[in-house]
Amino acid sequence: MLYIILAILGGFLTILSMVVNANLAKKVGVFQGTFINYVVGSFIIFLIVLFIQDYSYINNLANIPFYAYLGGTIGVLVVAASNVIIPKIPTIYSTLLIFIGQIFMGIVIDYFRISHVSKGKVIGGVLIILGMLYNTNLDKKRLIDENIISEE
Amino acid sequence: MYRVYAVFIGILISIMLTFNGVLDGYLGNYLSVLLIHLCGLITVTIILISKRQKIVLNRQVPFYLYSGGAIGVLLVLVNNICFSSLGVALTSSLGVFGQLMLSCVIDHFGIIGMDVYKFEKKKLIGFTIILAGIIVMTIY
Repeated sequence: MLYIILAILGGFLTILSMVVNANLAKKVGVFQGTFINYVVGSFIIFLIVLFIQDYSYINNLANIPFYAYLGGTIGVLVVAASNVIIPKIPTIYSTLLIFIGQIFMGIVIDYFRISHVSKGKVIGGVLIILGMLYNTNLDKKRLIDENIISEE
Repeated sequence: MYRVYAVFIGILISIMLTFNGVLDGYLGNYLSVLLIHLCGLITVTIILISKRQKIVLNRQVPFYLYSGGAIGVLLVLVNNICFSSLGVALTSSLGVFGQLMLSCVIDHFGIIGMDVYKFEKKKLIGFTIILAGIIVMTIY
C-alpha cells in the first residue's frame, strides 16, 4: 500500500516538475533549463549521499551492466523529444499517447523480468486507456464549444 | 505522425524507469540517483556544447524555478523505490492516475497561475473506469 501511495505521489511530482520546468524553459530555454535542473539536482543528491554515508554498495560498481547507466541519458532525451513533439499535438492527447507507449512497453518489460504476461496488467491497461479516452473526449467537446480548437 | 512520436516518448520513459531501477538494485536508493543525475548532466552538457550555447546563470530567474531539480531528485527516488515492488506497468499506471488527479485540481482552482477550468462531474465516469483498471492491475 505504501508503494501504491508513493507511485501516485510520483504522478503529482511529474505534474509539478512539468509546470516548473515549462516556466524555467520560457526564461532560459529548454536545454539551459534542463542543465540548471541537473546541476541543482546533482548538488542536492550529492549532499544527501554525504549526509547518509552509506557506501556499502560501492563494491558493486564494477558489476553494473553498462546499459544501467543510460537511464539519466534517456531522461535528457525524453526532455528534448518532448520539447519538439508535445507542442505539435493537442495537449489533451499528449498524456494519453505517452501513457499508451508507457503501458505497452511496461508490460513487455515486466514480461522479460518475470517471464509471464499478467492478464490483469493487460485488462487493467486497456481500462485505464478507455477511461482516459472518455475524459479526453469531454475535454475535446468543451474546447470545441469554446471554439478553442476546431473539429478535425 | 507526431502522435506516433508521442507514443515513442512513453516507450522511452518505460525503458528509462527500468534502467534506473536496475541501477538502484546495484547501488541502493541514493547512490543510484546521484549517478543518474551525473549521467543526465553529462548528456545535457554535451547537447549544450554541440549547440554552441553559452551557459548563463545570472539572468532574472525567480528562485522557485530552481526547485525543478529538487523535484526531479524526489521523482527519480520515488520511481526507483516503486520499481522493484510494483514493476514498470503498475508504477506507470499509478503515476498517470496521480497526474490526472492533480491536473484536475490545478484546472479546477486555477493554481500556479493557470486558467480556471471547473471540474466536470461527467469526468467521474472516466476516473471510475481508470480506477477499476488500476484495481484489476493491482490485485491480479
